[in-house]
Amino acid sequence: MRILFPDPLRERIILGGNMMTQITKRNPNKFLKDEFDELVRNHLEWNIHVLESGSQPHSIVDGKEVIMLCSNNYLNLSNHPRLIKGAIDAAKKYGAGSGSVRGIAGTLKIHTEVEKRLAKFKRTESSLIYQTGFAANSGLIPQLVGEGDIVISDELNHGSIIDGVRLTKADRAIFKHRDMSDLERVLKDADKKYRRILIITDGVFSMDGDIAPMDKIVKLANEFGAMTYVDDAHGEGVIGEDGRGIGAHFHIEGKIDVEMGTFSKAFGVVGGLIAGSQDLVNFAYNKSRTWLLSGSHPPAVSGAQLAAIDVLETEPEHVKRLWDNTKYFKKELNSLGFNTGGSETPITPVIVGDAGKAKQLSNKLFDEGVFALPIVFPMVARDKARIRTMMNAGLTNKDLDFALDKFERLGKQLSII
Amino acid sequence: MSVKIGFIVNPIAGMGGRVGLKGTDDVVDKAVKLGAHPVARLKAEEMLREFSVFSVNHHNVIWITCDGDMGNNELETVGIKNKQVVYSPTGNTTSANDTKNACKKFLESPPDLLVFCGGDGTARDIFTIIDKKIPLLGIPAGVKMHSGVFGITTNATAKMLQEFINKQLTVGDAEIMDLDEELYRKGEWKVRLYGIAKGIIEPTYIQVGKSCFESVSDDEVKDEIAEHVNDELEKHKDWMFLFCTGGTIDSIAQKLNIEHTLLGIDAVYQKKLLAKDVNEEQILQLLKKYPKTKILLSPIGAQGFILGRGNLQLSPTVINKIGIENIIVVATPSKLIHTPILRVDTGDKRLDHRFANQGYLMVVIGYRLSRVVKLQTNSF
Repeated sequence: MRILFPDPLRERIILGGNMMTQITKRNPNKFLKDEFDELVRNHLEWNIHVLESGSQPHSIVDGKEVIMLCSNNYLNLSNHPRLIKGAIDAAKKYGAGSGSVRGIAGTLKIHTEVEKRLAKFKRTESSLIYQTGFAANSGLIPQLVGEGDIVISDELNHGSIIDGVRLTKADRAIFKHRDMSDLERVLKDADKKYRRILIITDGVFSMDGDIAPMDKIVKLANEFGAMTYVDDAHGEGVIGEDGRGIGAHFHIEGKIDVEMGTFSKAFGVVGGLIAGSQDLVNFAYNKSRTWLLSGSHPPAVSGAQLAAIDVLETEPEHVKRLWDNTKYFKKELNSLGFNTGGSETPITPVIVGDAGKAKQLSNKLFDEGVFALPIVFPMVARDKARIRTMMNAGLTNKDLDFALDKFERLGKQLSII
Repeated sequence: MSVKIGFIVNPIAGMGGRVGLKGTDDVVDKAVKLGAHPVARLKAEEMLREFSVFSVNHHNVIWITCDGDMGNNELETVGIKNKQVVYSPTGNTTSANDTKNACKKFLESPPDLLVFCGGDGTARDIFTIIDKKIPLLGIPAGVKMHSGVFGITTNATAKMLQEFINKQLTVGDAEIMDLDEELYRKGEWKVRLYGIAKGIIEPTYIQVGKSCFESVSDDEVKDEIAEHVNDELEKHKDWMFLFCTGGTIDSIAQKLNIEHTLLGIDAVYQKKLLAKDVNEEQILQLLKKYPKTKILLSPIGAQGFILGRGNLQLSPTVINKIGIENIIVVATPSKLIHTPILRVDTGDKRLDHRFANQGYLMVVIGYRLSRVVKLQTNSF
């Protein structure tokens, strides 16, 4: 007979009629299951959806064909023949892997080509590719500031910025979302007390699809001698002339000290990037631990990145198509009576209000062949639960009408419109 | 799953206000003679009605209450049937003793939350018995509501109750404030901190993944702030620090192993207690020996006062000597949600004016983390 006692550290084992007490050591893995079970109990676990197709405008998700409205593949470049060919050609030429970290023997010619082409595209002096966007933020931010410095951050900044900031010894101050008078107040206070000041913001905010007023931020930063850093992950390939990003959007190319972005969204590949001065790049690759300590991109990745820049420079129709789709979809949603908030980008929230309703709408949309996920508190305010849709340039008018029809019918069914 | 909510109304709360008595503690008869009408009952019913309309799951609530106008009548009027009466007042008019005796009854089988209707006096009477054993939520109906346990309006209280039942709000510290009514009727305004109760608060969230957040307990946030204060103490080894009144400062002191007077101001030097519960005179004496001093303050009560309510030892003379640039204000983010504006009322117009000119204050809300908060100097 074995009786288990609830005490996790001590477990008495009673054998036969003779009582033998044995004190076992702690179970080192017990928390894994306990904590996962707790997440499941609170409905907080991630339900992973599996795509049997690639990330396409019509994807096969968990065995069902759906219209994709929640990928970051804004321009549908991940399926572009030139990118696929770029990947294959680079793999054929350079092999499957890079062999090392960039710092030692893992910098291939194709890596440097991407960086040159990217700087040209971004109209900056130089650029540097990181393994991921997260690696760029968490590797570079802690090097830009240290003890005696301050990071000033928009209150709605993305998690990877927050993690980067957590790694610094610098003080941190928050300003109200896109509120320039609040930023100015913090700057005034910081000006007296700190050695270096770094202002950090998302370019396009991923929950509401609004854009940071980068022109005003740069102006304020210049007044106070502060450095500017923008995470343009959702703006790269989307806003600005031919998708050149937030610098081009505000016509301040080269004036933002650090333009950080990613190849994993509109560019359709993977990889983080920074663009700015040569001084910035020299500093960044010598100091970013994430860059120095992880293997460099496989050649196929770089080949596809290079092709993505080619496509953006020579085929403006993708960005145009993305925006045409966005404008049409937003306009139609609004005329159906949906509240789409203050979005200025292809991220269009459909604000439902109640969290339960948002989840219900998302489930029903999926059943009807539209894939868009709900965003609920605490990611957004309690009464602002929503379906977040992200437009794709590969969707046709027929696809959009199909999706709009589902939104209309289910919106009425759930008394949202 | 059902939720047990204690419900108590102080029927005479708020009666003094209309007849200019500034509270009914000890002067009920006088108030009635002057023609005061009961307001608490109406406020309580208004809250209950709002709650019943708002809340989809109000049927899961079991109300534990007192007879007559101390709760049962109000629940009855609104049509709430799922209730148990556990206490009956003894006389014709109710007194503070009835509130206290009812609370003793509540403790026999504690509800998840005690909702009460009254003012600061009622909160104080309840806290005397309940202490931290049951979280409190006040429907504001008194003449004075400085304590942190009150909702801002009846409507806001109903919403908080609903969110507590839906487990969207969590339990955290809330100050019970007290105004010396005897002095107040004579024209003196002295609000002091009476104690730290449990109230219900908005949890703080941090983003842990792309679109995934984790709530952080109030205690963890205070740990972070304590860590920050610890750095300040180490950076300024030759400075004296005045740890002021309040729950946040008290938990910081506890985490740093510094003995602290919850309701008073302590002087700390090199992380050691220098003098306990000091008054103005003693602070001025200490300042002669320790001219370099920082004040560690936290907003107290519902209106976000950092100076002028409680902490009265920090007289204008003291603040002028120390310098307003040496005031460190700390607050948990959940506290700032309810008191988005900080207030100062030092009693010295010129000093108030200097704060007013600043307009904003940097407030420490986590480890090395701060944000600007609006500062107002009008007295509340």
